[in-house]
Amino acid sequence: MAEKFPQPVVDQIYTLNLGPQHPSTHGVLRVLLDLDGEIIIKADPVIGYGHRGHEKMGENRLYKQFMPNTSRMDYLSGMIFNHGYCLAVEKLANIEVPERARYIRVICSELNRISSHLLWFGTYVMDLGGFTPFLYAFDDREQILDILDRVSGSRLTYSYCRFGGVTADIDYEFVDQTRAFLKRLRSRWPDYHNLVTKNVIFIHRTRDVGVISPQLAQEYGVTGPSLRAAGIPFDMRKIEPYEVYDRFDFEIPVGTKGDALDRYYVRMEEMEQSCRIIEQALDGLPKGPFINDEVPSSLKPPKGEVYFAFESARGQTGYYLVSDGSKYPYRCHIRVPSFGNLNVLTEVLRGTLVADAISILGSVDVVIPEIDR
Amino acid sequence: MDEGYQAGVVFAALTPSDKLRDAAVALKKLGFFVETMTGFEYTDTQEVVYHFNCFLEPKSRLALRVLCGEGMGVPSLADLFAGAIWLEREVHEFFGIAFDGAPDLRRLLLPEDADYYPLKKTFGTVQAFRKRDEIYG
Amino acid sequence: MGNEVGTSWIRLIIGLLIVIGFSQINALFLVWLERKVAGHIQLRPGPKEVGPFGLLQTIVDGIKLIGKELITPLAADRKLFVLAPVLIFMPVLVGFLVLPFGPQLILRDMNIGVILVFAFSTFSVLAILAGGWAANNKYALLGAVRSVAQNVAYEIPLLLTVMSVVLMTNSLRFSEIVAAQGKVWFIFLQPVACLLYLICATAETNRAPFDIPEAESELVAGFHTEYSGMRFGLFFLAEYTNMFIVCAVATSLFFGGWYGPFGFDLGLPGVVWFLLKTYLLLFVIMWVRWTFPRIRFDQLMNFSWKVMIPLSLVNLIITAAVLKFV
Repeated sequence: MAEKFPQPVVDQIYTLNLGPQHPSTHGVLRVLLDLDGEIIIKADPVIGYGHRGHEKMGENRLYKQFMPNTSRMDYLSGMIFNHGYCLAVEKLANIEVPERARYIRVICSELNRISSHLLWFGTYVMDLGGFTPFLYAFDDREQILDILDRVSGSRLTYSYCRFGGVTADIDYEFVDQTRAFLKRLRSRWPDYHNLVTKNVIFIHRTRDVGVISPQLAQEYGVTGPSLRAAGIPFDMRKIEPYEVYDRFDFEIPVGTKGDALDRYYVRMEEMEQSCRIIEQALDGLPKGPFINDEVPSSLKPPKGEVYFAFESARGQTGYYLVSDGSKYPYRCHIRVPSFGNLNVLTEVLRGTLVADAISILGSVDVVIPEIDR
Repeated sequence: MDEGYQAGVVFAALTPSDKLRDAAVALKKLGFFVETMTGFEYTDTQEVVYHFNCFLEPKSRLALRVLCGEGMGVPSLADLFAGAIWLEREVHEFFGIAFDGAPDLRRLLLPEDADYYPLKKTFGTVQAFRKRDEIYG
Repeated sequence: MGNEVGTSWIRLIIGLLIVIGFSQINALFLVWLERKVAGHIQLRPGPKEVGPFGLLQTIVDGIKLIGKELITPLAADRKLFVLAPVLIFMPVLVGFLVLPFGPQLILRDMNIGVILVFAFSTFSVLAILAGGWAANNKYALLGAVRSVAQNVAYEIPLLLTVMSVVLMTNSLRFSEIVAAQGKVWFIFLQPVACLLYLICATAETNRAPFDIPEAESELVAGFHTEYSGMRFGLFFLAEYTNMFIVCAVATSLFFGGWYGPFGFDLGLPGVVWFLLKTYLLLFVIMWVRWTFPRIRFDQLMNFSWKVMIPLSLVNLIITAAVLKFV
């Protein structure tokens, strides 16, 4: 028999499971919602469905064998995670990197950042109900994936960086394709802005929704575009410049209120800034070797530790490597931005409607496998 | 102090576990946030490392290291930094380190009925299991 | 006397058969059209393998759906669960009886034609509620409840705008309303009412941006979460048939029914004009679906009660005033 229709009493709280299989949760996320009608009283994310034990694997792999693991944690910024890992190990073991390799790695990382943000853009608007920008964004993203595929061999989870440089050199066709892609992407901005940014329905769905204040960000350790939308210009590329980022002229977009619309603006603007970085890097690309040949195959860094922080597409990421002088790391811990970004949602989702919950989840841009590691 | 910022931290301090909360209160007033928490397992002791960072000052990361052995717990920072709850859950479920006063120590990443601590060096394949002095001596 | 009754019965039966056949083919055609329109808006071709231009795709999909297992959840209310898809599809067919396809092509030119169409299309709300409740599923119940609220809210401005047109022609008969538009279509006389009507029509048929009851990204599939196979197919087809009826009514009320623009026929029979205009309106509705994101539920209700109803009331009053004093 069908259950009794709930009486309109305030105490009638029921639990809804925004289950692991859901079209809108990005990765395998389960949120236990306590609902009163349509208003969320308590939100409890349950994660761990994708735990693969990367940190334990990190202790059982040679330094170079851990490279594929890094790009599978946050598969949307695989190249950036690769890059960060190489930088961390190079810092630990004092390895020199030639200039050309630095520029190549920066270009590939920024291309990866653009592709991650494009995917976020498509899926976010799709969560809100507009199915078309998804396909446009993926059309653009295909170009990036083709470019990176040509040079590294994989489309999504790369292992392109090596300690001391990159695996293979880039050629003129890479440069030409990247320039053509940048031109094409820039010609798409008016389309995206006309279709989505100026759309009244979209603005109503995202304005004043899911506000993350700077105090809340400090309590939970939120980083990335969610933090920058709250007004704090905290970007690892400017705060602790690594590689050759200090040679480029780019800005950090910052929002004012910290709502979903600000997060949207910040990410769209970040894509444009990444285009600027790539352009400047392509203009200034030096000639030279693309890898430091003297790096031994099984690297034995000296005893010590390093905590290297860099900016991935989701926020500040960090590798904490502790070496005991042998071939294997003693401890390999990865600090992921989505950890804090999802944690803050237990606070932010309280008191909102279910439809807003989807909008907030989408705008904060969490990728669950990187939390689960 | 590490002026050269070589290891990524400006300042690393070995903190006794009873002073941890005072340090955290002071840091919170200065505008720091808990960046991450890591556990360590050695033959003689366990250790928890807190990394704090500040939004407004560049290159201002600190590390606070707290030693904890068998039976010795670490005070919980959950009421100061709300984000620390999840970090403590994670360190607890991987290393078995007890946090006194933590409101919630359910499993975060592992299944709810897991009764093993995966990142301990007595679990699974392990390449190195050393004393603390051998690394940080 | 007997002959007239006899011929009118034959006329009725033949007309019914044509109408039922037409509605089925029309539903299939609309599904294909939607997929093609969606495809081209999204920079992809849509179905093109099965049949010329993919025209047979819908039939093949229908055969596949018929072949699927009809799963009934264990704790569902069996009778209502089975009844709901039927309930949503049948009453819509009644609307076809009064539509003015051409000057002589109205099956039953009732003098309450307009009211009949809207009365029977409201049945779909009952069917959605029954379907959502009977499934014994929280998502489905949420979807059904939202749908009821949305339909009730948008029914009111819909009827108010239709009233404005009825005031102008003093009749509820479709043939008279269309005949009054011989020289000038009513859209030029009542542009606000036409716009409001189209918005309400989109909301009544649960189409995006008002498709919260079946919001795919939020509630998995809303009120038809638990339906499988042809039961789901019936919900689907009923939605498209409902769309057709609503657009056909818009064509008759605002766009001149079987007349060409400003009385120029260009030699085409009235029924061709009628169908052309209806399908153009359908295309616009589909176009809107693939462009806009979804409105949040409370914003939707706000929009109806605070914007649509006052506007349609004002329109009605102005129409009445103009008719009285001019």
